[in-house]
Amino acid sequence: MKSKLFKFLALFLTIGVVAAACGSDSEEAAPATTAAPATTAAETTTTAQVEVVAEGSLLDVVQARGTLNCGVSGSAVAFSETQADGSVTGFDADYCRAVAAAVLGDANAVNFVALTASERFTAVQTGDVDLLMRNTTWTQSRDSSVGMDFGPTTYYDGQQLMARVSDGFSGSSTVADLDGAVVCTNVGTTTEKNIAEAALLAGAEITLLGFETSDEVYETFIAGGCDITTTDGSALVGRKVKQQPADQEWVIFPATPISKEPLGPTYGQNDSAWADAINWTVYATIIMDEYGINQANVDAHVGDEAEVGRLLGGDGELQTGMGLAADAFYQVIKQVGNYSDIYNSNLNPVGLYRDGSANAGWLDGGLIYAPPAR
Amino acid sequence: MSELSSTTGNLEVPYTPPPVTPKLPPREWIRANLFSSPFNSTLTVVSGLVILGILRGLLSFLFNPIRQWDATATNLRLLMTQAYPEEQYIRVWVSTAVILILSGLSLAVWRAGSAVPLSKVGRNLVATGATMALLTLLAPFSASATVQWLIASAVVAAGGEGIRRFSAIRSGSVGSAGSVGSGGSSGDDGRTVTTLTLLGVALTGLVVSLWVVPYGHHSFILDRTPRVMAEPGTVAMTTKLPWTVMLVILVAAYFLGRSLRDRLPTNATRATLLVSWLLAPPVLLYLVLRDPSFDMGHVLGTDLPIFGAYAVGGAVLLSWLTRPTTGEVGRIVAALVLIVGFCLFLQPMRMIVRIDMLMLACFALAAPTFAGGQRARRRYVVGWLGVLGVSSWLITAINTPSTVDVPGDFFMGGLSLTLLVAIFTLVVSFPLGILLALARTSTMPIFRLLATWFIEFVRGVPLITILIFFSIMVPLFLPRGMHLSELAAVVVGYSLFSAAYLAENVRGGLQSITRGQHEAAEAVGMTTGQKTVFIVLPQALRAAIPPLVGQCIGVFKETSLLAIIGLFDVLYIARAVMPNQTEFMGSTRENVLFVSLIYWIFAYQMSKASQRIEKRTGLGER
Repeated sequence: MKSKLFKFLALFLTIGVVAAACGSDSEEAAPATTAAPATTAAETTTTAQVEVVAEGSLLDVVQARGTLNCGVSGSAVAFSETQADGSVTGFDADYCRAVAAAVLGDANAVNFVALTASERFTAVQTGDVDLLMRNTTWTQSRDSSVGMDFGPTTYYDGQQLMARVSDGFSGSSTVADLDGAVVCTNVGTTTEKNIAEAALLAGAEITLLGFETSDEVYETFIAGGCDITTTDGSALVGRKVKQQPADQEWVIFPATPISKEPLGPTYGQNDSAWADAINWTVYATIIMDEYGINQANVDAHVGDEAEVGRLLGGDGELQTGMGLAADAFYQVIKQVGNYSDIYNSNLNPVGLYRDGSANAGWLDGGLIYAPPAR
Repeated sequence: MSELSSTTGNLEVPYTPPPVTPKLPPREWIRANLFSSPFNSTLTVVSGLVILGILRGLLSFLFNPIRQWDATATNLRLLMTQAYPEEQYIRVWVSTAVILILSGLSLAVWRAGSAVPLSKVGRNLVATGATMALLTLLAPFSASATVQWLIASAVVAAGGEGIRRFSAIRSGSVGSAGSVGSGGSSGDDGRTVTTLTLLGVALTGLVVSLWVVPYGHHSFILDRTPRVMAEPGTVAMTTKLPWTVMLVILVAAYFLGRSLRDRLPTNATRATLLVSWLLAPPVLLYLVLRDPSFDMGHVLGTDLPIFGAYAVGGAVLLSWLTRPTTGEVGRIVAALVLIVGFCLFLQPMRMIVRIDMLMLACFALAAPTFAGGQRARRRYVVGWLGVLGVSSWLITAINTPSTVDVPGDFFMGGLSLTLLVAIFTLVVSFPLGILLALARTSTMPIFRLLATWFIEFVRGVPLITILIFFSIMVPLFLPRGMHLSELAAVVVGYSLFSAAYLAENVRGGLQSITRGQHEAAEAVGMTTGQKTVFIVLPQALRAAIPPLVGQCIGVFKETSLLAIIGLFDVLYIARAVMPNQTEFMGSTRENVLFVSLIYWIFAYQMSKASQRIEKRTGLGER
């Protein structure tokens, strides 16, 4: 009798193993979902992908797959917001679309993967995403030991502070004025470390209050629970525009941020063809902006001479040599827009303007600059 | 038990009904319970003031004009299904309809619902009206809004009073004339109404209100910059039309079930429905919602032949193994099949071949236990064919690319992801937990030790650690080419975690079964398996209902930890995604309040269901 129970249990334990295996099987479906060629079976698709990764560039893989897996935050105001219908919009999301337009000819062939800050680099390394557009700051350690490569910076950000005018702060205040202040910020980010270091250097004693989400930080700030909030300047401006109550006046300082946060595309290292495709997509949006060629008037410039003509796919174009279609950058401008189009449509609504900022073009005193296309 | 045995002697104890506590009229009840002494009166007044203060605070939070309830109203779809594409939304509705049809049929076939006296319904409505009026006076409304809400409260209360009088008159004319005035005792014996009717009326009222009441229409326009259009009027046609259809389907299914239940054999109908409920989650998920685009060439050329080979080969093998004359040779062959299965499993080849082989090994191992007559053997082989067919079909469907195009790595999110993880975890962990509990209480040392180690290890590790382990570490351990999606890894890990806790709950139930039950079962010649399945487990599970349901509620609520490993469950969307939309910055509190309401509704329904089961099985009464 016991032997029967024994067998009964053995049976079910084995079924458990099978169930686990079954679960693993379902996973082959997940990449297959994205790798939509409906005619091939998932198993063959998966192995094919692995082989290509071993041999060629990610550029060929993405073009074979037909969609771009783009890692975004999904919850960063104006940079990558998940909208009510599940679509992803914003500055970063538009650059994902731009890359898809350049590489695949279709700005909508993007598969947005929302990633948390902690899992973003793993997602690139395991191949879950081809490209990271997730307000990732370009740092030495990430560029070297983490194993990432960084594309041209698309947005120059920097950590700043926000306080109430009624507490005696003004645009010309500095970190040294913080002595005795209660500072609220998100926990687990570099902002915490930056403000602590800055205060130490300036000789100001501050009390740090950490919160899990940004909303909690600003609820507390509005209610008077802290004197100062600090995070990247772009986020502070957005909050000030949207959330400043009628009976308070907020001010952002110091004019020179306490940290440098250059944000741009991030991808796995040692893949030149893929890096070139992404970098030149960004450069194309910048160059077209310098010439004033935008989404609305790009069609009128297709036959132009020299740099514009070459970038839009005319005589002497260099795109085919880098594995892209001749009209790749025409598609970028036509379907997504130039740098100003992308910047203004996403960031103006939250109060961020190019004029006078580090994100103005180099001709206007900013840092946005692209090498020549020839 | 002990009382029973003491009264079953020769002494004749006359049956006396339990004493009835007289029902006091409201005024006397209040005096007796709330103002019986000066101390009690003080307590009542103080706590009453505290409660009123809390209610006022809550109401002024809810109705403060700065609250962004637009955020919740606009993002309802995001909260429910995240990014499921709009043009494919009919699939979501079809799935809902299937669930509702099954619910309607089950309600009818299991004869759900109980009778409620109409007078009680009336009294409850009057009380609701009074509460509404009280809340209206507490809330920080403008004068006109206060008047409107007061009128609404009065209408509700008047309706309730009307129902109460109507039932009192009818019962008065039918029953004793004296009871009309006195109310109380025989007033409750008047006309009754079933809870199902009440539910139907409430749902109908809700759906009708979608067509009539101007809740507002939040349309979402994805331009270069997205914006939300809030328009007056009733809700969008894409909301009210499907819900109306869903209500009609539910009601129709119920009446269909009522007409069927008297014509069909009850047990067969119930068994069919149970199997449908079990099959519904995978079928809806993988076939309806995912819509695999079957490649017929591959299905006919590869999957079908594999199925055919296993079906024929397995049937031949099993019919030989279940022959009573096969004997010990059969066990050796079955063990060999298992070894082959394991070896095949470690080889790179089609997953379906590996899984089918393991399943065949399981069936082969169990076969000698099911050896017997012609009929028993045929039934066993048919069982094999059924399991093989369903699993082959599902594996093929899972491995076929989906035609539903969604952003993100998984096509579900929000509440549907929460429910999906909770349902699959519970379905997997329940049998696993029972097996672990049986193994831990078994006399076989290996099983006992393994089960004990597993349970104690898993219970000693926080859930979040297990989730992170399964989402980040497990994919690194897998052989090359085997890719486990984060979601499947998480469901496996969560199921193991939940099974360990369930096992301890079941073990508690098992220990409540007295030795006499085991001995009695053995005395009538039951095998260990029969004893466990027919005698011990039913009683043990009954005794363990409260902690088991507690565990179910826990599993449902703790799905919110998925947010930490980056899955978009309903709480993560409310807390991190919605407040980061340009339109709705700073709306966390509204969103979280709404999501807590969703969690409460589900958890409360589970706990009500458990109370009903406890009542039906007589737990705590006998």
